[in-house]
Amino acid sequence: MTLSPTQRRGLIGAALLSAVLIAIGVLATYFGSRYQIRIVYGAYVNLLVVIGLQIFMGNARITNLSHSAFMGIGAYVAAICVTPAATKAISLPAAPFGLNAFSLDPVTSAIIAIAITALITALVGLFIVRMTPIGATIASLAVLVIIHSIFLFRTDIFKGNQAFFGIPQVFSLTSIIVVAVIVVVLARGFRESRWGVQLRASADDETGAAAMGVNVARLRLIAWILSGIVLAIAGISYAYFLGTISARPFYFNHVFLTLAMLILGGMRTVTGAVLGTFVISFGLEVVRWLETGPVVVGIDLPEVLGLSGVVLGLVIVLTMAFRPQGIMGDREIEDIFSKTK
Amino acid sequence: MPRPPTMLDISDLKVFYGPIEAVHGISLCVPEGQCVTLLGPNGAGKSSTISAICGTVKTSGSVKFLGQDLANTDVEDRVRAGISVSPEGRRVFSNLSVEANLLLGAGIRRDRDAIRADIERWFRTFPILGDRRRQMAGTLSGGEQQMLAIARALMSKPRILLLDEPSLGLAPRIVSQIFEMIEQLKQDGMTILLVEQNARQALRISDYAYLLNTGTIQAEGPASSFGQNDELMAKLTGLG
Amino acid sequence: MEYILQQFINALSFGAEYALLALGLAIVFSVMGLVNFAHGEVIAIGGYTMVAFATLVTANPWIIILGSVVAAALTSVLLERVAFRPVRYADPTTGLLTAFGVSIVLQNLFLLFVSPRPIAVTSLYFLDVPVDLFGIRISSLQLFETLATLVVIVALTLFLKRTIWGLAMQGASLDFQMVRLMGIRANRVFALAFLISGLLAGLACIFIMARRGSVDPHLGFNPVLMAFVACVVGGFGSLPGAVLGGFLLGIVQVAMLVLLPQEYGGMKDAFVFGIIALILVWRPNGILSPPVEKGDKV
Repeated sequence: MTLSPTQRRGLIGAALLSAVLIAIGVLATYFGSRYQIRIVYGAYVNLLVVIGLQIFMGNARITNLSHSAFMGIGAYVAAICVTPAATKAISLPAAPFGLNAFSLDPVTSAIIAIAITALITALVGLFIVRMTPIGATIASLAVLVIIHSIFLFRTDIFKGNQAFFGIPQVFSLTSIIVVAVIVVVLARGFRESRWGVQLRASADDETGAAAMGVNVARLRLIAWILSGIVLAIAGISYAYFLGTISARPFYFNHVFLTLAMLILGGMRTVTGAVLGTFVISFGLEVVRWLETGPVVVGIDLPEVLGLSGVVLGLVIVLTMAFRPQGIMGDREIEDIFSKTK
Repeated sequence: MPRPPTMLDISDLKVFYGPIEAVHGISLCVPEGQCVTLLGPNGAGKSSTISAICGTVKTSGSVKFLGQDLANTDVEDRVRAGISVSPEGRRVFSNLSVEANLLLGAGIRRDRDAIRADIERWFRTFPILGDRRRQMAGTLSGGEQQMLAIARALMSKPRILLLDEPSLGLAPRIVSQIFEMIEQLKQDGMTILLVEQNARQALRISDYAYLLNTGTIQAEGPASSFGQNDELMAKLTGLG
Repeated sequence: MEYILQQFINALSFGAEYALLALGLAIVFSVMGLVNFAHGEVIAIGGYTMVAFATLVTANPWIIILGSVVAAALTSVLLERVAFRPVRYADPTTGLLTAFGVSIVLQNLFLLFVSPRPIAVTSLYFLDVPVDLFGIRISSLQLFETLATLVVIVALTLFLKRTIWGLAMQGASLDFQMVRLMGIRANRVFALAFLISGLLAGLACIFIMARRGSVDPHLGFNPVLMAFVACVVGGFGSLPGAVLGGFLLGIVQVAMLVLLPQEYGGMKDAFVFGIIALILVWRPNGILSPPVEKGDKV
């Protein structure tokens, strides 16, 4: 396989980002307390979500607000598959279709979770990709509410706002770092691929791209499904580490948190996604420390409360006002080190 | 013959769209009570010049109106100072009635009775608009919309009227009507800056003309001498 | 028969409230293309002002009501000035995200400086008394709400059709720059749109508070979501669309309550949003979508 110069640069960029991700992980593993490791793990889960978001938003340039719901689907499907039947008999006594009568190994469960999430994203995507950008954003909001309502309503399957417990905790910080590196390479690969390049060009000039024979709807759908797959992986990683999930973290608060991360870093680049995630994750940790002192919160992501919420909102408002392209704009990590464009 | 005082004085005007420079430092002036025409092909920078006078694009250089530099004057305040435009593409408010369009044109005036009287006067000048006063402007024909756009521009009682391609896309009979109207305005003492591709008609009613191409002024002179320069006219009408 | 009439009145009064809320969003959107999600927090400000007035100033409910409406209107104008002006001519998505940001900031300021818990306001209970109408018993609040919405619709229509500022706002929804080229000040048009939106939020706040009797930081979330849905259904930016969408939403919601079996009650939102999604598939820009030519908004 031959790579174009931009693709080769993309590979270098992905390697640089991976090095950063691994370095942070190694530092946390050797020097972090248990609590700090949980925080770092949480940041990596959000990193996966934000990169998943970037794959669609950054290439198609359409704001998506339903991503946390798809993360939730991934998490729940994996949880239902992997949790031992004995535990499910207690926690989900009334589950239909014999969902509480079987259990699978973590890898098979994850594959099923990814497949089902991809299928659902594909179905939703068929409608989303044909709308105007703002129409698609509005529809994605409707999707978020619908999926959340289903999580809440089918307590016999999802347990709603109560904890779905007993998921085997098979993931460690090391596992998620490996996953994050793979996802970064995937996102960078997609961005520099023919599809990614065409999709970004079409976002700048839709009629022009259509005239060139580019099927914009199809490209958007590809990005949308790929994004869904990464979101499912994020959900699975979340469930496999924590062992307990509930519907609440897959709703508006998390949507805005991750959106703020992507917007601040700059949605057009993978580097922006990584940067935004770490700046906000660790920034919020500092704010929360100022807010309440170091209390163990777990990785259940910011319950946007008080000061941290104000900061998060301000980040969004100020970024939109003064730097709508985010910190990175159109630059990837390798563009910082070399000037040639 | 003493030269009338200058109303609009543009010097070294450049117009920018992002990093692209569309007009490269042109200078022109419009004396009071005269009709000056900007001729030139599509994309020559004519409409950009009009936008620059209105204040809706990024510019450098100077635009002076009645001796005042407009660099720091907002779009709205330029209208209040006496600059009014009938823009390219007419841009009537298609979701509002003919009458409402004229009322909006008089949006900076407070003399309600005089506004009423002016509207009635326009309806007598263009009975077709009077017949359709309650109709949505979007349902008018192109020629009617153009008349409405000019009437709307005049409702603010401007000192200078900017007309951007008033004949574009109209049937020849309507074009003559529009030019008759412009001539009448001029005779009534209105100062006019006219942008046109229809060189012959425009020169007939103008005092002075500039030829603009690719963002620079290529020729200028009294309209009468422009009309006699056969080579130039051939080029212009060929372009138009 | 009585049951049907009862449910009809319910649908009407729900619809009236949604229409009122939706108009508040639509009027801002029509002028500047901004989906103002912070509208809900403007309503909450109205609620907190009621608390402040009731505990600090007076027990007179009319003064409390007046105070909350004025506070909502001023807040709305202030938000335009400080938060939305920088993104005035930006694309709708940038505006939407800014509005979300503002909404998050305000909600958390309430958390931080007031209280995460609901605060009771009892001053408005007198608005909610049972009355007999055509032999059925309904709440006076439903009556007031429907009437108030009708009055608002008439007043807004007169304003838009008969005043120069109303015409300017309609013109601005199509071609803002052309309105500026008429010498009409953009700043005033924007301020006016937010002022009207704020007044509508204040009005809606009265009814919401009279029914709930308490205010908490998330007071505005559900109302604004419903308003948003109504606008989407009706066609974003169209004022008649907002009214239509509001009433339609009221009807759909009551129909869901009546038709869905008891045990599916929790799925009401999913069904409502499912219907919304279907309407969007059918008409991506809503039922009464306004004309699309927006002109260059420079």
